[in-house]
Amino acid sequence: MRPTIRLTAIAACAVFALAAAGCAKKAVQTPPPPPTSTPDAGTVPTPAPTTPATPPATTPGALTPAEAAALVRGMQTVYFALDSWSLDDGARAALDANARVLRDNASLSITVEGHCDERGTVEYNQALGEKRAEAVKQYFADAGIAMSRMVTVSYGKERPSDEGHDDAAWAKNRRAEFSPR
Amino acid sequence: MRSRPAPALLALALLTLAVLASAQPSEVRIDLQSGAAERLRIRCESFTAAGDRTARVTSVEADEVLAADLAHSPVFRVQRAWNERASAGLVPQFVTSGRWQVTGATVRLTGELRELPGKQVVLTRTYRGALTDWRRLVHQFADDIVLQLTGESGVASSRIAYIVKQGRDKELWVMDADGHAARALTSDRSLAQSPSWAPDGSLLLFTSYRGGAGPQLWVMSPSDRRPFLVSGRPGLNTTGRYAPDGQSLVCTLSQDGNAELYRLDARGGSPRRLTNHRAIDTSPCWSPTGRELAFTSDRSGTPQVYLMDSEGGNVRRLTYDVTYTDSPDWSPRGDRIVFVTRTDSGFDLYTCRPDGTGAQRVVASGRNENPRWSPDGRQVVFTSDRDGQEGLWITDLDGSPPRKLDTGGRRALSPAWSPRLPGVAAE
Repeated sequence: MRPTIRLTAIAACAVFALAAAGCAKKAVQTPPPPPTSTPDAGTVPTPAPTTPATPPATTPGALTPAEAAALVRGMQTVYFALDSWSLDDGARAALDANARVLRDNASLSITVEGHCDERGTVEYNQALGEKRAEAVKQYFADAGIAMSRMVTVSYGKERPSDEGHDDAAWAKNRRAEFSPR
Repeated sequence: MRSRPAPALLALALLTLAVLASAQPSEVRIDLQSGAAERLRIRCESFTAAGDRTARVTSVEADEVLAADLAHSPVFRVQRAWNERASAGLVPQFVTSGRWQVTGATVRLTGELRELPGKQVVLTRTYRGALTDWRRLVHQFADDIVLQLTGESGVASSRIAYIVKQGRDKELWVMDADGHAARALTSDRSLAQSPSWAPDGSLLLFTSYRGGAGPQLWVMSPSDRRPFLVSGRPGLNTTGRYAPDGQSLVCTLSQDGNAELYRLDARGGSPRRLTNHRAIDTSPCWSPTGRELAFTSDRSGTPQVYLMDSEGGNVRRLTYDVTYTDSPDWSPRGDRIVFVTRTDSGFDLYTCRPDGTGAQRVVASGRNENPRWSPDGRQVVFTSDRDGQEGLWITDLDGSPPRKLDTGGRRALSPAWSPRLPGVAAE
């Protein structure tokens, strides 16, 4: 059961539907411009320019948002041991299957989300989640997937898939999952 | 902390000395180290209200605000004249009183501190302000009383920034140090995290997902509430802390593929990498001199607090006494570092000296996290679920039970205590 993936996919569908309807979508793949705020004492900070909105890629043969969402929904969540970002046999098997989806659909770009269980600080878990997402991204890259098709986001312990407070819940929450980009 | 074999006698001796030393700017002055000395006994008389009904109503509230400010500074034991039975047997050494005058939208407080038993006036001061800001006047009087008697201002006029959890969202809030006047600074239904103050108290640096591209560093002035992007590089942009001189900041970035500490200028530019290790490095904080940093790294296998020079050299582990340490914060006095340790059942708070010696547990029971010092280094505010729900608590570090801040039933976490803020000028 991967209820969170389905939720993520549904959310992604909604985002893409909005984007298709002409709403501006934040370009998550573009690094923000150099910051220009001025937090020195006595000076009012000036706003950094917001990230320019760019429409989703519309190259010929591109996947529709619904197709991308369906493909990502079929990708397997990867689980991790406590305080670890190493990929065990089960994780590698799941990622091999996911890599096939990415290879077979060259126009599919994804966000790799790193997640943690609730133990430890927000800040440490944020770094741990990034490690997990990066480990997955690197595994895909080693399997021949272009780096440009993947971005990582760490949610640390902020987005548990199981709200419980026991070993079973924590095991489900130490994970990397995927959303279409 | 210094040992004081006979604190009461010593305090009396210091008091006598201070009174004799006419060159002293304050006539009565008592040197107190946090938690170590016996508390001064002070009685609060009700203010005399002058004006309309508003004057009488706010005056009664102001009485309690002053008494609470004094009771919450780890300097005093307080006797309330309007509730003497609560402190039966307390023989006060000092007494406060005042005149509370409301004229239209203006309030004027003339506060007085007298020494007992002779009732000599130690301090008289008049403050004036907008009626809507009446609490600030009382907090300033409390801080001035502490200054008069200890040589160092109290912290009742400071504020605490924190995070409120609302469903899946987290918003940035700020309140007075006594928990009143709470208000939201963000309402973008995103994730705000890890607030910290500029050294002059004018700005709050925080992490937010509001930009839609993962965790980024933002800054805002609590007065105008407009967030500005400081660092939105690919990957993590988290745990920002301004240097004590406000000219630069330290934060966690993962733009090079791994969580490392970087120093940025105060605008967020010119990144300089400080750590270089395949492990996680995060949660940095400055020493008050700005010459050193404490941070969390799992380079030994589990999270541990390390120290290094502010340019990145001379990395060493803080303490070997505890097996899991995280979330350091350096006392503004420079003499202690507070941090989180993991236990079998939760997380405790410890402090130790910057050389790693003298580790002592200061808060236990439940999950106690995100400790941050008060601007006078006498107290620590932290997140805890010790009563069942995440909330904010303050410890005096003297073994007495921590007290909970009233956050109006909201789930509050990740506090950051402001520096001393510009106060209300006395007339």
